[in-house]
Amino acid sequence: MSQQTQLLDSSQNRKTMLILEDFGRNLGLTFYALFALFPLVWMVICSLKADAEMYNTVFVFTPTLDNYKAVLLGTDYFKAFFQNLVVSGGAVLLTVVAGVPAAYALARYDFKKKEDVAFQILSFKFAPEIMVILPVFLIFQKIGLYDTYFGLIWVYQLITMPLLIWVVRGYFEDISVEVEQAAQLDGYRWFDVFFKTLVPLIKPGLVASGLLAFIFAWNSFTFPLVLSGFNIQTITITSLRYIASDTVHYGQVAVAALIAVLPEITARLFIQKHLVRGLSFGAVKG
Amino acid sequence: MARITLERIVKRYGKNVALDGLDLDIQDNEFFVLFGPAGAGKTTLLKTIAGVEFPQEGLIKIGDEIVNHVEPMYRNVSMVFENYALYPHLNVYDNIASPMRSKLYRQDEATIHQQVERVTKMMKIDHLWERRPSQLSNGQRQRVAIGRCLVRSPNVFLMDEPLAHLDAKLRHFMRGELKEMQSSFNSTTIYVTHDYMEAMSLADRIAVLNYGKIEQLGTSLEMYYTPCNEFVARLFGEPEINIFPGEVEEENGCLGVRALGQQELMPIEEDAAQVLREKEVRQVDVGIRGNDISFSFTPREGSMAGTVYANEPIGNKVVMTVDIHGTHLSLVAPNDTQARIDQPVYIRLNMKNAIFFDGQTQEYITRSQAQSHICSKGMPISERG
Repeated sequence: MSQQTQLLDSSQNRKTMLILEDFGRNLGLTFYALFALFPLVWMVICSLKADAEMYNTVFVFTPTLDNYKAVLLGTDYFKAFFQNLVVSGGAVLLTVVAGVPAAYALARYDFKKKEDVAFQILSFKFAPEIMVILPVFLIFQKIGLYDTYFGLIWVYQLITMPLLIWVVRGYFEDISVEVEQAAQLDGYRWFDVFFKTLVPLIKPGLVASGLLAFIFAWNSFTFPLVLSGFNIQTITITSLRYIASDTVHYGQVAVAALIAVLPEITARLFIQKHLVRGLSFGAVKG
Repeated sequence: MARITLERIVKRYGKNVALDGLDLDIQDNEFFVLFGPAGAGKTTLLKTIAGVEFPQEGLIKIGDEIVNHVEPMYRNVSMVFENYALYPHLNVYDNIASPMRSKLYRQDEATIHQQVERVTKMMKIDHLWERRPSQLSNGQRQRVAIGRCLVRSPNVFLMDEPLAHLDAKLRHFMRGELKEMQSSFNSTTIYVTHDYMEAMSLADRIAVLNYGKIEQLGTSLEMYYTPCNEFVARLFGEPEINIFPGEVEEENGCLGVRALGQQELMPIEEDAAQVLREKEVRQVDVGIRGNDISFSFTPREGSMAGTVYANEPIGNKVVMTVDIHGTHLSLVAPNDTQARIDQPVYIRLNMKNAIFFDGQTQEYITRSQAQSHICSKGMPISERG
């Protein structure tokens, strides 16, 4: 009898422990969430403040939508937003179209200096943009790519392509050659093999690195600053405009930045489940 | 429904030669086994026939048509890959249905269902239709791979170690099933294995491959009784054939072998002695299988004294290794044999079944043909010189 109560006791104890553990974990995560989200919250608050209240209030102030009005209606913010979308989307599209075959070639075929080529591609990502920007500027002036969509999309490949090639290459290498060969023997043409067998297998990596490429392109600052002028203005450059020579309209900068991160956040939420899996290499299992 | 001919196939990977000028002629409806150690080029040969690897030299013909430049999909071959090569993103059903859904071999869904049901029942995996390959054990994956291969009826089946990862009982069952299917299916099968029992029980003919070359080509019995060299002899049979060096000497008009540090000559059968005399060989390697050695624990006439080196019971028999002056001979003993290590033992070799190899080249010279089990089956063993 006493043993039974003891058993009951111990199971009771275990239950309490489990509840405490859950509670502790959630508490910790809540604190981290607050910490991670605070800059965003701060930005939202700033965007609702008038310039006069910017420095002398913290959480208590009279909210106003003036900043939103000024940015969205007073300037050509939407044009910049759209142009940024075109440039970044175009860059990602080109990266996928050219990068996936490149990754396949690097994974499957043996050619001379293969590793050197692969490393060269990766090294584009190491080089600071500012280092190559002047020659690129001069060349673009000469060949008429300055301040064009295509010029920006092209130069963005330097920052979007390397990561995608390396991630997707890893995925291709994880798929055994025999799977492709089996599909060929099953009666599929190479084209079908590629889209029916290979693409589903590399999809997590493709989606994740595609999203990162989009974010790199969206956030890019140096290239559009130097290589575009009046025709094309990306959102990063436009946001600068609210920093005037005499005053800085922090409220307006906050609005511009807040809207600028929206597409990134939305895209990320949509493909969250691919993101972590996609970037941990070797997720393909036979 | 096709005869397969390979002419002087050469396949190199960089500097490594995988197939070295290989000639092969596989008959229509033949069950042909490729046998050999790891790295011999067996898989490369299969892939070359399938068309997923391309030889640098030579011709491949399927049914008298040269297929060197025919895409794999148009060769109408079906292959089981050694590493299964299942589609990771499809479940078992879709994996097996895949060949019947391609443009080339398309069937309607009702037929597909029926066929998938048929092969999965046969492979005993019909309860796993919904599983992904990653949720299967290796044996189950292998059966899915076999199923995908058997689901359609191609010209040629290529099977790369298809039973290697199955448990013993299932392997035995599948062996029978494959043989049965082969005879009813009417198609050529090329089968790679490194299990000599599988090779011997399934094959119409066996090719032993080593370093990208064919060492010997023939039936199971030819491989076993008249191996063309010591390498082939060692591949077939369990325990491995005993091969020891000896010298051919003449005594009282009879030839015998002096070996294993024995005083007495080991007798050589008259017909074998004739060949040895003609070829004037002195250095020979004598090959003798474990079941041609008898033993007792008390001295008998004409027996050699040795000590027990190891005694391994393996179910239906015991493999005893006997040490004679530093040479180890393995013999097959009844399964209730008990022996202590280093215990004295006396063995007698049945020299009628000895195989003689050239001591230098290790090539087959001769064996006595007086043995009834070969001649009664009419095996043409005399064709080889």
